[in-house]
Amino acid sequence: MLGELEQIVLLAVLRVGDAAYGVPVHEEIVRLTRRDLTLGTVYKTLSRLEAKGFVRSYEGDPTPQRGGRRTRCFAVTTAGRKSLESTLATLRRMAVGLDVGLEPT
Amino acid sequence: MSAPVLPSLPFRLLERFLPSSTADAVIGDLIERQVTGVRLWRETLVAVWHLRDRTPHEVELMSSFLSDLRLAVRLLVRAPTFTAAAVLTLGIAIGATAAIFSVANPVLIRPLPYRHADRVMVVWEKERDGSRSTVGFTTIRDYTDRATTFESAAALGDWQPTLSEGNEPERLQGLRVSSNYFHTLGVQPALGRDFRADEDVPGAQRVVIISHALWQRRFGGDPSVIGRSVSIGGTMMPVVGVMPEGFDDVTAPGSQIWRILGYAVTDPYACRTCRHLRMIARLKPGVALERAQSELTKVHKAIAAEHPEDYGSPDALVAPLQSEVTRQYRPALLALGAAVGLMLVIAIANMANLQLARLVRREEEFAIRTALGATTPRLTRQLLTEALLIGALGGVAGLVVAWLAIPALVRQLPPLLPRLGAIHLDVAALAVIAAIVVVSTMVVGLVPRRGRRVSNIADGLRGGRRLTGTRQSAVRAGLIVAEMAFALMLLVGAGLLARSVIRLLDVDKGFDASNLLTLEINSVGPRYETDQAVFAYHDKVRDAVRALPGVVSVGVVNQLPLGGNIDLYGVGAQDKPEPDPAKVPSGDRYVVSADYLSTMRIPIVEGRPFTPAEERDTVNMVVLVSQALATRLWPGESAIGKRIRMGGPERPFRAIIGVTGNVHHQGLDATQLMSFYVPERQWFSSDNQEMLVVRTRGNPTAMAGAVRRAIRQIDPAQPIVKVAAMDDVVAASTGQRRLALTLFTCFALAAVLLAVAGIYGVLAGNVAERTREIGLRAALGATPRNILQLVVGQGARLAVVGLSVGLFGAFALTRSLRALLFGVGPNDPVTMVMATAVLLAAALAACLVPAVRALRVDPSQAFRVD
Repeated sequence: MLGELEQIVLLAVLRVGDAAYGVPVHEEIVRLTRRDLTLGTVYKTLSRLEAKGFVRSYEGDPTPQRGGRRTRCFAVTTAGRKSLESTLATLRRMAVGLDVGLEPT
Repeated sequence: MSAPVLPSLPFRLLERFLPSSTADAVIGDLIERQVTGVRLWRETLVAVWHLRDRTPHEVELMSSFLSDLRLAVRLLVRAPTFTAAAVLTLGIAIGATAAIFSVANPVLIRPLPYRHADRVMVVWEKERDGSRSTVGFTTIRDYTDRATTFESAAALGDWQPTLSEGNEPERLQGLRVSSNYFHTLGVQPALGRDFRADEDVPGAQRVVIISHALWQRRFGGDPSVIGRSVSIGGTMMPVVGVMPEGFDDVTAPGSQIWRILGYAVTDPYACRTCRHLRMIARLKPGVALERAQSELTKVHKAIAAEHPEDYGSPDALVAPLQSEVTRQYRPALLALGAAVGLMLVIAIANMANLQLARLVRREEEFAIRTALGATTPRLTRQLLTEALLIGALGGVAGLVVAWLAIPALVRQLPPLLPRLGAIHLDVAALAVIAAIVVVSTMVVGLVPRRGRRVSNIADGLRGGRRLTGTRQSAVRAGLIVAEMAFALMLLVGAGLLARSVIRLLDVDKGFDASNLLTLEINSVGPRYETDQAVFAYHDKVRDAVRALPGVVSVGVVNQLPLGGNIDLYGVGAQDKPEPDPAKVPSGDRYVVSADYLSTMRIPIVEGRPFTPAEERDTVNMVVLVSQALATRLWPGESAIGKRIRMGGPERPFRAIIGVTGNVHHQGLDATQLMSFYVPERQWFSSDNQEMLVVRTRGNPTAMAGAVRRAIRQIDPAQPIVKVAAMDDVVAASTGQRRLALTLFTCFALAAVLLAVAGIYGVLAGNVAERTREIGLRAALGATPRNILQLVVGQGARLAVVGLSVGLFGAFALTRSLRALLFGVGPNDPVTMVMATAVLLAAALAACLVPAVRALRVDPSQAFRVD
C-alpha cells in the first residue's frame, strides 16, 4: 500500500508523461491538489519511490533557462504502475457502497 | 537574473549539502521557476533537510550519541542526589531569570505597540525642584502652536465615567482627549472612526470611543454599537469607534473609554494655572529628543515671559512616553534584574562545582574506559551528552518554575503597571537563558579537565585518591569564593530592603488604620445634578451605615491618605500675600464631613474640630490645616484665626479654626505633609465620587457586605467600588518595596543555601580525598584540635575571602537600590555586619560536618587503603 504522497507523486509523473522532471511534476501536483508543497518534499518522495523500485530516473539535458543545470527525469516502472493499481483498487473496494465519490465506474 | 547576488547563498548551501546530481536538479528547477526571497529560503531549507548527503561518519555519530544518551540516563539515575541537586539548581536559575525577564521585557524593554513609538513623548512643566507637573490647556495650545519639532500633540485628562447601560452600573477607567490623541499615539480604531477636529469644541456632541474589551463585554461584540448612544452618567453619548483588540493605553493603563476633550481657551478651566491636563506629542521624523527639548525650553521661557504671573515653573520637560510610564517601577524591576543576575551566577558556579566534584569521583571510571580503548573525544562526547541531558532536564524544571512564578509575580505587581496584559511566559527567552546556563556550566565544569585525561590512566587505575589536581582545587575554591561573595551581596540587599519596609511601616501615618473599612461611593446620573442632592445622598449613606451594628463612626472624604490620588491646591494666606507663584505652598485637599477626622482618629493639636453646625453653614467659611502647613505659613505663630484661600485669587478666604496632626498622603516616605480640611458643603462644588471611611468594632472586611447592602438600599443604581480595609490601603502604598523585598529575600535564601552547600561539598570531598593524609597526621600525633583547624581553617579561609570580596560588591549593588531604601543608607553598617555574620556562621556550620568526619578517621585506616 502506497502512502498518500507517494500515490500523488506517482500519478503526477504518469500525467506529465515524457521528460517528467521536477518543475512540471511539481506544477501538476500544486495545480490538482492545491497544496503548497516544496520541491524538496517532491524530490524526497521520488527518491523513496526510486529506492523501492517504483520509479527510475535519468539525467536530462541542461537548458539555458535552468542556468545550465541538468534536469533529473523520472519514469514510472512496471512495479510502480502495479503498486499504484493495487492501491487504487484497494481504495475502490473499500469505497464500494459508500457515497464518497470513489464508486466503481 | 533579477537578483544574482542573494540567491547564490541558498544555491551554495544546496551544492554543499546535496549529492551533486540532486543539487543540479533542484537548483535548475529553482532557477527555471524563478523562485526568490523567502520562498527560496524555504525551498532550500526543506531540500537540505530532506535530501542532504548523509556520510557514514554522520550515521556513526547518531548511533554513538544514542548509546551515550542511554549511558547518561543510567548514570544519572544511579546518582539521584547529584541529579536532583543539578536539576533543581538549573531549574531555579533558569526559571527565575526567565520569569523576571518575561515581566521586565514587555514593561521596560520592548517598544510600545504603537506606530514609531520611539517618537511619542510626554510633555510636562518642570518645577524648580526638577519634578514634573501637569499642564493647563492654554499652555498646551501654546506649546503645540510654537514648537516646530512636533508632528502632532494632544491633551489628555483623567475621566472615570459610570456606564449605566442595562441594570448593572459600572465605573470605568477612561480619558478625555484631544481629537488627534490616537493619531499622536500612533493607533487607530479598528471599527468605526477616530475623533474629528470639529468635535473637539465646547458644546459639540460628546462622542466616545470604546476599548475592544468593553465592546465585547458590554455590547457582545456587536458592530452596530457604532452610532448607537450609550448612557454615561445619565448623559447619552454616541459611540463612534472601537479600538483594536490588545490596544493598551499606557498613559492610563486599563482605560476602556475615551471621550473628546472639547475645551476652548476661553473656558475657565482652560487657564494656564489650571494645570490638570497631561500632554503627549509625536516628534517629526528624524528629530532628536535633545533638539525637541531645547526648542521647548525656549518656547516655555517665551510664554513664561509673556505671562509671568501664571508660571512658577522655570522650564518644560520632554521625555519619551515609554520611560515616563515605567519611571516609577524602573528601580524595583532593575533591582530585581540585578538580584536575578547574581542568582544566575551563583547557580552556574554551583553547577560547575557539582560537576567538578562528580568528575573527581569518576576518575577511576574514565581511567578504566581509557585503558579499554576509549579515545579522549569519545569521553568528551560522553560528558557533553550527560551535560546536555542535565541541561534539558533543568530547562524543563525551569519551564515549570517560570510557569508557576509569572502569575505569582504578576499578582504582586501594582495593577496599574502599564502593559501588564502583555506579560506572558517568554519561551524563546527561556530557551536562550537555558542555553546560556547549560553552556557556561559546561565550560566552567569541563575546561579544568583538559589535558589531564590520558596521562593519568596509571594513577586512576591505582585507585589512590591523589587526583585532586591543584588546578581543579583552585577552580573549585574560586567558585566558592564567588558564591559566597554574591550570596553576601544578595543578603545585604535583602537586609536593606527589609529594614526599609520595617522603618516605613513604623512611620507615624497620622491616623489610625486599624479597624477601618474604606470604599468609594458614587452619585452619578440625573438624580444628582445639584450639589444639594449629592450632599443629601452622602448624609443618607452616613446615617444608614452608622446605624449598622458593629459600626463606631462614619466619615466622607474626597480622597484617602496613601490612596494614590494627588489633589494639591495652592494655599494663599491673607496676611502674607506671595507674589511669586513658585513659592506658594501647596496642600493636599480633603473635603470632608465633620465626623471624618474623629473616624480616622486624626488628632487636633490646636483649636477645635468642625461643629455639626459648621458642616451645614455655607456662609462662614472655616478650614482646618495640618501642622506642617501652619508652620510653613506662620512659623512660631499660632495659625488659629488666620485666613487662607485655596485655588486662586477668585476663591474666598476661610478662617482657620483648628490645626491637625500631619497625615502622610502621597506615601509613607513622603516629605510633603501640608494639607487642609474643608466641610464638603463649603467647597465650591460637589464631587460625585467620594470615599466612605467606616470605623468598625471588629474586623473591618467582615462588615463590607452589610455596608454595601445598606448603601444599595438607598440607591441601587450607584456603583460601590474599591472596598478595602485601610490597613491594606497602607500596605499597598508600600507595594513596590514589598515586591522587591519578597523577591530579594527568596533569591538571597536560595543563594545562601547554594553557597553553603558549595562549601560543604568542597570540604566533604576534600576530607574524603585526604582520609589517608589525615589518618597519617593523627598517627603522628596531631591532636583533634589540629585536625579541626586543618579542615575548618580551609573552609573559613574560602568564606572570609568570599565575604571580603562580597562586601565590595555589596557597596556597588546597594547603590542601585537607593531609590527603594527608606531610613537606611545604602552602606548601612548594621545590615552589612549582620549579613556577613549570618553568612559566616552558616559557612562555619557547613564546615563542621566534614570536620567531625575527619576527627573520626581511624589512624590505622590510613594504611589500609589500597
